Order: sequence, then structure tokens, then C-alpha cells
Amino acid sequence: MVSRRGFLKAGGLALFGIGLGGIPGFLADAVAGTVAPGLFKRKKILVCIFQRGAMDGLMAVTPFTDNFLKAARPSLFMTAAKGAPNQKPLIDLDGKFGLHPSMAAFEPMFREKRLGIVHGIGSPNNTRSHFDAQDFMESGTPFKKGTTSGWLNRAVGLLGHDGATPFQGVSLTSSLPRSFYGENPAVAIKNLADFNIQMRGNVNGAKMASQSFEDLYDQTSSGLLKNTGKESFEAIKMLQKTDVKAYKPENNVVYPATALGNSLKQIAQLIKMDVGLEVAFAESGGWDTHFNQGKDTGVFARNVEDLSTCMMAFWNDLARYQDDLTVMTMTEFGRTVAQNGTGGTDHGRGSCNFILGHSVNGGLVHGVVNPLSKENLEDGRDLAVTTDFRSVFSEVADVHLGINNDKILFPDFDGKKIGVMRG
Amino acid sequence: MKSSVRNFYWSIILFCAAILLSSFVRFVGPASKIAMPYKKAGLTTEQAAAHLLSRFTYGAKPGQVQEVAKMGLEKWLTEQLKGDEKDNTLDDMLTKFDAINMSNTEVENTFPRTPSIRKFAIDEGYINKDSLAKGDRKNEREGLEAYMKANGYRPQQELFRQFFSQKILRAAYSENQLREIMTDFWFNHFNVALNKPQCAAYVPAYERDIIRPNVFGDFQKLLLQTAKSPAMLLYLDNFTSSGNNVPAQDQSMDMMMGANATPAQKKRAMERMEKVKQQAQQKKGQGGLNENYAREVMELHTMGVDGGYTQSDVTQAARVLTGWTIAPMGKIGYGGAVKKMIDRFGESNLQQKGFVFDGDFMFNMNRHDNGEKVVLGHKFPAGGGYDEGVELLKMLAHHASTAKFISKKLAVRFVNDTPPTSLVDKMAKTFSATNGDIKSVLITMVNSPEFWSKDALREKTKSPFELAMSAVRGLDAKIDRPYELYTWINKMGQQMYYYQAPTGFPDNGQYWINTGSLLNRMNFGLALATQRIPGVSLNLAALNNNKEPESAEAALVTYSKIIMPERELTETVARLKPMLNDPNLQHKVATAAEKNNAAVPKPADTTMDMDMKAGRNGKATLGDGRKINQDPVIKQKAGTNTMLAQVVGVIIGSPEFQRK
Repeated sequence: MVSRRGFLKAGGLALFGIGLGGIPGFLADAVAGTVAPGLFKRKKILVCIFQRGAMDGLMAVTPFTDNFLKAARPSLFMTAAKGAPNQKPLIDLDGKFGLHPSMAAFEPMFREKRLGIVHGIGSPNNTRSHFDAQDFMESGTPFKKGTTSGWLNRAVGLLGHDGATPFQGVSLTSSLPRSFYGENPAVAIKNLADFNIQMRGNVNGAKMASQSFEDLYDQTSSGLLKNTGKESFEAIKMLQKTDVKAYKPENNVVYPATALGNSLKQIAQLIKMDVGLEVAFAESGGWDTHFNQGKDTGVFARNVEDLSTCMMAFWNDLARYQDDLTVMTMTEFGRTVAQNGTGGTDHGRGSCNFILGHSVNGGLVHGVVNPLSKENLEDGRDLAVTTDFRSVFSEVADVHLGINNDKILFPDFDGKKIGVMRG
Repeated sequence: MKSSVRNFYWSIILFCAAILLSSFVRFVGPASKIAMPYKKAGLTTEQAAAHLLSRFTYGAKPGQVQEVAKMGLEKWLTEQLKGDEKDNTLDDMLTKFDAINMSNTEVENTFPRTPSIRKFAIDEGYINKDSLAKGDRKNEREGLEAYMKANGYRPQQELFRQFFSQKILRAAYSENQLREIMTDFWFNHFNVALNKPQCAAYVPAYERDIIRPNVFGDFQKLLLQTAKSPAMLLYLDNFTSSGNNVPAQDQSMDMMMGANATPAQKKRAMERMEKVKQQAQQKKGQGGLNENYAREVMELHTMGVDGGYTQSDVTQAARVLTGWTIAPMGKIGYGGAVKKMIDRFGESNLQQKGFVFDGDFMFNMNRHDNGEKVVLGHKFPAGGGYDEGVELLKMLAHHASTAKFISKKLAVRFVNDTPPTSLVDKMAKTFSATNGDIKSVLITMVNSPEFWSKDALREKTKSPFELAMSAVRGLDAKIDRPYELYTWINKMGQQMYYYQAPTGFPDNGQYWINTGSLLNRMNFGLALATQRIPGVSLNLAALNNNKEPESAEAALVTYSKIIMPERELTETVARLKPMLNDPNLQHKVATAAEKNNAAVPKPADTTMDMDMKAGRNGKATLGDGRKINQDPVIKQKAGTNTMLAQVVGVIIGSPEFQRK
């Protein structure tokens, strides 16, 4: 069984209070303790955003010179040519691919080579079920349902910090996502302000109860309950260092008041609190656009605008931490090349994803997108998956987080990389 | 003549004796007689009753430990293993949930999935296309609602809420506690999840018809029925799995239509079949073999990951199970194309071809791989049809690895997270000897000293569901809104019926206890005891026969014992005393509670408060803060009572109460 108690072994430490040189106080104390867990210094931070519902990669990043696509999508196809009446043009990235105009926030990052895009990414398993495809992508084993752990949980384990902090892996969701299933510690927190002992309208009662709980958990004979109890109260104290409700982002950033904006804002808070966060997870919904997905306006446009502006708000808020930060999006599959009868697209295969960070091989659309003629399509209908998602995820994890064990991170994966990261 | 008559009688006598003897052997067989060695383990009858109840119920109700000790543990367990205690109170409560007894077809016709009706709502103009393009979610939602109302459809969420509610009410109030515990166990073992929309609507019937009636019986039956259930067929994709060498279409057509059909009729039918086939393939975007179920049935349902099967066994088993799929149900439910085929050719014609129709299950001969297969060294000759699948599952159910795997899982559930091999071996032996009779395996478990050892007592960590239920039962709470408890259980880290992976929830303390979930357990205790969970009420005074404890300390001791009978609580009480003896803090809490009660009148207007206001025992009111401040004696009492809720909350959230 994995021990997650490394820093607690030092005993009744007087923890908290940010210690020397940006290393949290508890770590300094832990090092000084008799059973030193080894100096834990947060390395880097990986933030993953799961776009649930399957994003239409061909609309997010359109191969706009492709006439097959144009023919297959009479009312959805967009062009980079300026001056089309009543329509914003695509942002021409490289003469072949155009970024959706509602993702204008991404353009400077792409030009500065901070943002990389992988097109034709997807799973080797050709299921077109949301559930199955998400399950496979999050477990990281595309042909095996019974895998007990998620890939991000395994990543947390491979970082080897022995559970030095309760906040090493955090999901901003109400319950733990499949990606974080597993034996390494990970916590789901929808709202940081709720992370406390609560008695509504009775602050003193809550304080007393909190004190009683702390005492009770301190004396229990169950090691698991005792240690976790300790961790919990220490975690509360960590969070109480800052008034989470009164958070002011830096650099005049304003987060969109959306679910994703709220999640990323709280991840930023955790990062700035220096609680040892290394792997974070957030979700974005509404990508299952079977009906009237729209072009430069409409459902899809609003979704990509939210995604890009939220990510950029996060990036700019954390300007001081950018060297340590990589943000990666993922989605379970792409959508049909042809539009359907209701102005939308159906479940397909390849999609695209975005990776933002200083170690990203940015300014490029990686991967292979062949002309979308019928013979090039998967099952005669979908953008073919030309890059295994595990290739990209493992490269990001390897280079950014310094994980070098693909056999554990993605068992049964051949290990081929395509160079989305510099390093 | 005479001697032949004598021989005849003799043979009858011998025959009867043989029958008697065999039934006698059965009756006194080691596996079926309950003889629990708790005294040898040094436990009193009360202590043993407390342990037994902690494992085989969702928590002892006040006084239940004494009751069971009095009636005899063996008798109580015998009744529980029958699982047919009268449940009138519960049944009354459940009558208001009209959807929980619906068949899958009724569910399909009442609670359709949104994607399958959204298109109709648009086509029929309930959802305005233009506003849809503008992303007007409100219009979309309202349009959909109007369409559903006009067609008598109801939102699926309503079905699920009823489903959650029945689970909570059964756990809290059923007299057949062990049956509910085992239902939970087997559901988790054969997990399906509401996350997967394709199977979600069939999950309530799955638990009700497949799991609950079979929890004590024959493992093989449970396995076979889950394999054939729509929920499992969809959850693990077997419904889509088809073989490569399906019989030639034209031959089967001849057989189905008979020799009298004209060539033109045959041609039309052929074209129709072809179209159906194409559509089906397009829809799935894939055809052919799907190994998901075949793999998990070995890895998770029977033999276990180290049970000794290979990838080839998985593939071959998947081939055996091709064609195991779902019968068409409902007006707009699954299987429209197949329904047309059945309507056209008739069930009996199809049955002659090897099709099998069994309720919601269908064996589709046209999708079955008819070749020879070898699984675990056992040969399934070509042409085995439906029967070879049944044979395969029986083989898996009786495999030695299965006996071990299931026994260990039961021991993990009921003894501790790492049960001793000696115990698992005994249980596995019974499993094999009885062909997988679950009741016998359970009896072997409780007859073993390992079940009563100090490594078992209080060694399991309650799941969030178990915590919530044991609190509700221990406090005799009244649940009017079970869904409120569902959301709390979710917050504590167990989103019931939504465990995405087919493994089911892990069954160990390490999984349930982490920083976030532990805090929520504490908050749950406080919220429950201070009556801040809407629709869940308690009467703390009644728990102590409306006797007011003499002092704060007495309250602590009394209520700790009521909530956690037969536990060593000295340390818990010692740790909580300082909280009660700080008059300053007490006063602050009381004042804050008063203020809050005044500000939020309704939830504060609790059963307990009302009892207090009624002035029972001539004591002053809790509801009047001024009086409390004016009268030192009353202040003491009232402080105690306000404190009581808080003390109880802390007890529920305490480490001792997280264990069972």
C-alpha cells in the first residue's frame, strides 16, 4: 500500500506558515524531523482540462484549404479569407490550418510559440461512445475497462513525493474523475471555501467542533483515521492562510464567470498558496454538438471562446509561475467530417488538443491531417486518428513533470513520441 | 413370490433411507448449521451481537444489540438469511415512488433519453430552430419539457432520484438488513453505472430483478442473469458483439420465409435486411467482436485477474458470447431495426433458427459466431448457439479460481481489508462443495474464529453510505427526503450508482478516507445532529426516553453509549469533556445558535427544539435566548441541550464512529 504520510511521520509538527525560500513550512519541519521523507520541492504543475462531449476539432482548427471538408459541411465550413459578408474569418495559423475566430485569445500564444496544437489526436480504440472513450482516455488503457487507476493518479504516484501534501493532485469537480482513480492521494474539491468544518451561522460552534474533532482524531487507534485527520486539519489551516473568497487575480485578469473559469481560478489560488499542487484537473462541458453548432457565432463559438479565454486568464494570472506551468486540453473523440441533417456533427474519431507552456514545442500544428477525401477517412466518415493520445500525454508528462516511466503511466503503449515538447 | 415382494419392500425401505440419509447429511452439513464461536473468542453475547449487527446491518438501531442478544444470534441470522421478514413500514414509504417497480419497457416508454426525443421535439416545433442556433438553452429546455409533457414523458432524473431514494429507505428501514447489504455487495461486484447513458435506464430493474432476489442463492444463477441483463449487456458492450462467420443471409432467408415466398418477396425482404444491417453498422461505426464483457466476466466477475486465463481465452469467450444482446423494448427504445425483423419473421420462426427470446434478453443467431472455440482448455464444438454461452458461464461460475475470488471478496467486505488466507480457504471450500451456494459460504464465514477475532472487530471503515445509514439508524431519524442524504453521501466521496469503472467501488478504508472526504464526514455529523439536513429529522430527547441528562458530561456519556453500544469509549469521552466544561464557549455556542435560529426559522424549528419548547419535564425553553441569559440554572440546562446536538454531531463525525 502506498504511504501518503511522508511528511506526517515527523510527528506533532507545528506546521504551516510559509517557510524559507518558498518551501512550505511543513516541509522544512519534515526535513528536520526524525523520519525525513526527503526534500520535497514541487517540481512543475500540469493542469488538464477535459472537454467532455467530444470537441469538433475540425471546427476548432480547420484545414481550410481542404475542399472535401468544404463540400461535406455546406453550412458549417469557415474560411480564413477576409471580407466574407457577416462572418469573421478564421485566424490563419500556417496557410493550412485556421483557428476559430472565437479563440483569438490563443493567437498571440501560438505566435510566441507557447501554444502547440496536435491534430488528428485520439484513441486507438474506435468506440464512438462518450462513456467508453472517456473511460479509456482517463484510465489510459484504451482496450482495458478493468484498469483500476487513472493515468493522472499514476502520474502523481510516479512523481514520488509519497503524498507529501494533501493537495498534490486536485480535481475541481464534485467527485473524483476517472483520471484520478487509484491508490495515490487525490482530492476532489468543487469549492475551496467549503473545505472547513461548517456549522451554518454558528462560527463558534464550528470552532469548537473543529477543536473536538482534532482532539478525537489525534487519539484514535486507527492509523488511517489518525493520519488523515491530521492531514485534514493541516489542510484546513493551509487554506485559512488566505481568504479564498476575497481572491484578487494578478495582472488585472478577470476570469470568465463560467464553470471552467471558476475551476481555473481556484487552481490558481492553490498554486499561489504553495500547497504542493502538481497535478490539477478541470472540466469543460457542452461539446456534444449534434444540433446547430453554428459557425463564428453559436454554441460552438461560445464554447471555444470560454475555453480559450479561461485558459488565458489562468495563464496571465499566473505570470510569475509560467515557467512551472503546462496546461493541456483533451477530449474523448472528434466529430464527423460531414455535417448531419440538423446543422451539427455526430460522433467521430480524431480531434485536436491544445498545450500551453514554456516547454511546449509551440507555434506548430503537430500531427497528420490528410486530405479529407473519402478514402482517407476512418470508416469512410471520420478524421482519422493519426496520433495516439498516449503519445502526447506521455510526452507532456515526461518532459514537463520529469516522469520517465511510460510502462506504468501507459501500460501497453509503444512509447512513440511526436515532439510536442521541447526537451 | 413372497421373496420378491419382500425384496420389493426392502428396496423401498432402502430407497427411503437413502433419501432420508442424504437430506440428513445435507441438514447437518458443516456449511449450513450456524454455530458462531464468539464465546471462544472471548466476547460476551452483547459484544458479539454488536459485531454481527455492524457487519450484517446498516448499523444497529437503538436497543437492537440487546434485542438480538436476547433472541439469540443464531436465530436472528437464520431469519436474516431467509430475507423474508415483513416490511410493512418500508413498503408504505415506498408506495410514493411510482417508477421503481416499472419494467424496462415501461421505463423506456416513460423516461426516454433526452437525445432520442430531442430530435422529435425539434421536428415537431416544440424547440424553435432559430433560437437553438443562437444557443438559447432556456428555449431548448422549455421546448423539450413541453414536448415531454405533451407525450407523457418524464425526465430520467426523476427515475434516478426515485431509485436513489428507495436504496436509502431500504437501508434505513428494511427489516431484511442483510438482504440489503448483500444487494449492495453484489451490485458493486457486478457493477453497472448510470454514467453510461445507454444502460442507465435499465439499472433500477437490474438491481430489483437480477440482484436483489438472488443475493443468498446460487452464484451461477446470479452470473447468468447479469450476463443476460440489458444493463450489463449495454454497460460492457456485449450487446454489440458479433461474429465474423455469421450464417449466409440468403439461406436463413429461405428458412425464415418458407418455400412459398415469391422471388420478388424474397428480394424485397433481402433488401430490407441488408438495409437494416447497413444502418446498424453505420450507427455503431464498428462491427465485429467486442471483448469487453468477456474480459471483465473473467477478471472481475468470476476468476479474478490472476485466475489463470489468457488473452486467447478472453477472445474465445467473446466469440462464444456473440449474439447475446437485447430484445427490442419500448416505443422509441433500443432495437428498432431488430423489432422490424421480429415482426416480419415471427418469434417462433426465429426460435427455430436458434434465436432465443427471454424477457429483455435476446440471443441473435444471426450475430453469433458459429465456429469452434476453446476456452480454458474446454472445447465448444461448432454450432453450439446459445447453449454454449450458458455452458461457458457455468464453467466460469464453478471454477476453482472463482471460489477463491468470490470468497475473498466476501471476506474483505465482512471481516477486514486483508482477510486471512485460512478463512478464505475455508469459504472457498464451501463455495466449491455447494456449487456456489452463497448462503453456505456466509455461514462458513461466521462459523470461523477469524470472523470474531480482534483483527476483525471494528476493523472495517464505513463507506460514506454506511456512515450515513448507521447514523440515521442509530439516531432513529425520520427521513422524508432521502435525496438529501444521497447528496451528502456523494459529498463524502461515494456517488452511488455512478462508479464509472466495472470494478465497482474499492472496498477498503484507504479508498474512503482522504482529507476532503473526512472533513465532509465530520460536517455530515454536525449537519445531521443539528438538524440542518432538510427532510431528515430526529428527536434526541426521545432517544433517552425523554429523560434530560443531569449534566453535560452525563449527556456525553449517555448518548455515546446509545449511538455506539458495546464500544470502549473512555478515551472519546475524555477528549470531549473539555468542550463541555468551558462555560464561556458553551455560552457563545448557545448564543450563536439562538441568533441563527431566529434568522433561519424553519430548519431550526426542529423536532428536538419543539419538544423543548413544549416544556417537557417542566424545563425552560431552548427557543428563548433571553431567558437563558437571565437564569443561571436554566442557562446550564439549556446550554446542555444546545450542546447535546453538537456533542452528538461530534460523535457521528468522530473516528470511532467511522469504524465498524
